Amino acid sequence: MKKNLLPYLALAAALHLASSARADDTVKVGILHSLSGTMAISETSLRDVLLYAFDEINAAGGIKVGGTAYKIQPVIVDGASNWPLFAEKAKQLLEEDKVAVTFGCWTSVSRKSVLPVFEKDNGLLFYPVQYEGEELSKNIFYTAEAVNQQATPAVDYLLAQGKKKFYLIGTDYVYPQTTDLILYKYLLLKGVPVENIGGGRRKDADGKVISAGKYVPFSYTDFQQIVAEIKQFTSSGDACVINTINGDSNVPFFKEIVSAGLSPSDCPVVSFSLAEDELRSMPTKDMVGELGCWTYFMSLPTPENAAFLKNWNAWLTTESYPGVIKEKRAVDSPMVLSYDGVNLWKEAVEKAGSFDVDKVRAVLESGDISFGGPGGKITMQKNHHATKNVYIGETKANGQFKILQTFDQVYGEPFMLKDLDEKLSKK
Amino acid sequence: MKPLFKFFAAFGWLSLLGHPATAAEPPSTDTPAIRQQLAQAILSSGAAQQKLLADLGATGSKLVGDVLSAWNRGGIYLYPAADGTPVPVLLEDAQDANGKARAIKISDGLVLKDAAGKELRFGDSELNTADTDMRLRSTLRQTVDTLALASPDPEVRGSAVTKLGYSQKPMYIPILQARLAKETDAAVRKAILEGIASLQLGDHDPQVQIAAVKQLEALGSIGNLENVQRLAADPRTDPAVVKAAKQAADSIQSHIWRVNFFGTIFRGVSLGSILLVVALGLAITFGLMGVINMAHGEMIAIGAYTSYVVQNLFGTGFAFAVNLPFSFMGKPLGFGLHLPGLNATGWLYQSYFLWAIPLSFFTAALAGLVLERTVIQFLYRRPLESLLATWGVSLVMQQLFRMVFGANNVQVNSPAWLLGHCTLNDVSFGYNRLFVIAFAILIVLGTWLLLTKTPLGLLIRAVMQNRAMASCMGVRTARVNMLTFAFGSGLAGLAGAFLSQIGNVGPSLGQSYIVDSFMTVVVGGVGSIIGTVYSALGIGTVDQVLQQLLGSPVLGKIIVLTGIILFLQWKPGGLFAMRGRSLD
Repeated sequence: MKKNLLPYLALAAALHLASSARADDTVKVGILHSLSGTMAISETSLRDVLLYAFDEINAAGGIKVGGTAYKIQPVIVDGASNWPLFAEKAKQLLEEDKVAVTFGCWTSVSRKSVLPVFEKDNGLLFYPVQYEGEELSKNIFYTAEAVNQQATPAVDYLLAQGKKKFYLIGTDYVYPQTTDLILYKYLLLKGVPVENIGGGRRKDADGKVISAGKYVPFSYTDFQQIVAEIKQFTSSGDACVINTINGDSNVPFFKEIVSAGLSPSDCPVVSFSLAEDELRSMPTKDMVGELGCWTYFMSLPTPENAAFLKNWNAWLTTESYPGVIKEKRAVDSPMVLSYDGVNLWKEAVEKAGSFDVDKVRAVLESGDISFGGPGGKITMQKNHHATKNVYIGETKANGQFKILQTFDQVYGEPFMLKDLDEKLSKK
Repeated sequence: MKPLFKFFAAFGWLSLLGHPATAAEPPSTDTPAIRQQLAQAILSSGAAQQKLLADLGATGSKLVGDVLSAWNRGGIYLYPAADGTPVPVLLEDAQDANGKARAIKISDGLVLKDAAGKELRFGDSELNTADTDMRLRSTLRQTVDTLALASPDPEVRGSAVTKLGYSQKPMYIPILQARLAKETDAAVRKAILEGIASLQLGDHDPQVQIAAVKQLEALGSIGNLENVQRLAADPRTDPAVVKAAKQAADSIQSHIWRVNFFGTIFRGVSLGSILLVVALGLAITFGLMGVINMAHGEMIAIGAYTSYVVQNLFGTGFAFAVNLPFSFMGKPLGFGLHLPGLNATGWLYQSYFLWAIPLSFFTAALAGLVLERTVIQFLYRRPLESLLATWGVSLVMQQLFRMVFGANNVQVNSPAWLLGHCTLNDVSFGYNRLFVIAFAILIVLGTWLLLTKTPLGLLIRAVMQNRAMASCMGVRTARVNMLTFAFGSGLAGLAGAFLSQIGNVGPSLGQSYIVDSFMTVVVGGVGSIIGTVYSALGIGTVDQVLQQLLGSPVLGKIIVLTGIILFLQWKPGGLFAMRGRSLD
């Protein structure tokens, strides 16, 4: 249906272009998210905030390139939580729609799936969701939190709070596995003895640790045994839990934590996959005081954030896109990093004076492109990751975070494993 | 079966033993002086500051604890007064629309006002915080912990004792001993004894060390196992101490083994009870009636959503609006419902779950009744079609949940009385787990009574054994079928009510339990209720034991499933093979 309409739309657009002045020039921008299937719950929020960012830029006169103001024309495709389909849709965006840039992907597997397409067609993708690192494509810019912008600052905070024992638990897939392996090495480097890192270890044939921590499958529900183990681990009163469980398994996990009497003052749980959006469907009353670490919190008391939230809510009441939910919306880090990505790209395009991918990339890599976003200043680095503020917060009963500590302008470092291995071998 | 019941009864009795209430400490009287001292401490530095903090720690005032922990977390701000001197203030938690809060002066507890007497409001970042360094923070933490020893809440005292006990700083021994003399709570007393012994491990006198090690052994102190092992491995330790420490370490290790053993059995029984609660409804609809009911999971979800709605009715009310994706004569179609809430608080709100349980049964039973009348009654002789039809119904119902309650999971908060736990010999028994065990016993008992002791039960059994014959004898088989199916669905609803307390409530809730339900019923023997009981408890316990032994949640499950496949090869009829209509 959609496909059949496209030629007409294109025709209409062409007629429109021919009849109007240059001020009405448009540039096509792709949105590649799952709007159906299991990831839709998370990813539709990113589509919404991208549409908002485009509308905001268009209302302010569009993107100015070489004396012409270009309005952004979104091209929305649905990855449908189907990873091979993501690659097909990326191909469609790049080869048929010829978009100047694409904002998209949530899961690492979807990003890995589209990566060869973007490299082959020399496209440009902005990726906004916290991830495990160990990747650098010349065609992808990662506004996402790298491991050293979420996991390691959280560990630093806990160490400073006098925590000596760390229990690692996560869902069994690439992000928690890689993050926990990095954290395992990081903790060793910080002088935490190996018996104080809980959750178990797996070694390969050469005795090299290839996995650290306890892993459960997606949608796992029975945490009795694991929480009993955590309880014994924490009996000396100076332990904490690093939680990379993804999705709705967090609810039974936290309910078990509460009923076992593990209070945040004794054994805090710091979660890397629970932001404000996820907390809306969590029993937050039972989770007060548990920790989170992101590069943006909705409760940030900055004027930029206040303005962003005000405009976003105003946009929600007036927008007329189909399928955008208007009530009870939360804003969280992946959404803000999507929004930041759009603005960084706009800056770069205006500075490059062109939509050409190679020129825009060169400008983005220069390290001069930054944007004062809702989460603070964000600057794109030469290594395609971004320098930004990192915040530690504790959960409140209303599902928001109270900010406990700020790490100013943390440099995004995607390759931590190799570096840690080198430092550990020297030690 | 009987000894098992006694076992449960013992747990039920234990759950009644909470923490005994302890008399609150008398509030400190000289608050103004303490406030002055606090403000001074914040503004001073070096040795004077340390001295002030030590004095404050001795006051035992709750106010000092609150202010010092706020300070430690960067929550104390300095307001520059007109003459340039800084005034330490605390910002209130309640913020206005601009994210600003009133400032409370530390020195007198009053709201900060400007010269004109107008209340001043600040955002978090508008004022400078009172700085702390590493040394000060550690002093602050220790002062706060010492203060917490006097808290009226035994849990706060217990956690403060643990922190001091494991600090490895012998200076806390007299503080803990002083507290021990006053302490009345058994759990806190034990923690204090553990803490003192743990600190004494670092003593120079071997006799004291041996006494401490023996004490830890007697207390079965799991947390101190590492400390004792370290002491035994330290070459500088006295040989007599090493001997005692080795013995203590062995003793603590066997204590841990016992704790794990009983803990695992308890967890196995509790997991088994969950499986049982979930599968019992299916044991009726599938086991007795022979309907391959793929919508069983959605009946569970109905129960869970009913609990959610009841919770909201006791709270702020429940509203939903569904907009259909098409319109009629230019007007969008949709329907909505708004039910005002009771805005209950306290025990009334906490009791919502007790109302939710029967309501979940009736809503799910009603849904089952409708399903039976509209779909299933035409398919009794065609099991494959009933599989497809109920699967279709399950998809339709999931979509309905999505339309009414949204695609996201909904929040169900557990009532306080289901959240705690009690500990016996370091084995912890969660109240919600004890509850599910009792709940399972009750509904199995209820089902058993209904099937064997009531006229309806007699009719049900007759129809299930031989419908044609029962019909000949004048039994209205259609009505019995309908009621039986509704009853089975109601049991699923009960399961949902309980599951809302331990896990997610979302549109796909049922999907996560349908496989387990069928597995339990098939292993137990289709058509046998008692078989379902044994199979649920068996699967639950084996699963938990394997998890404990293998240390991996997935591997245990794989072995259980493999075991079940092999078992069904050996005994295709399950544990208790029955002859019934489903096998005709």
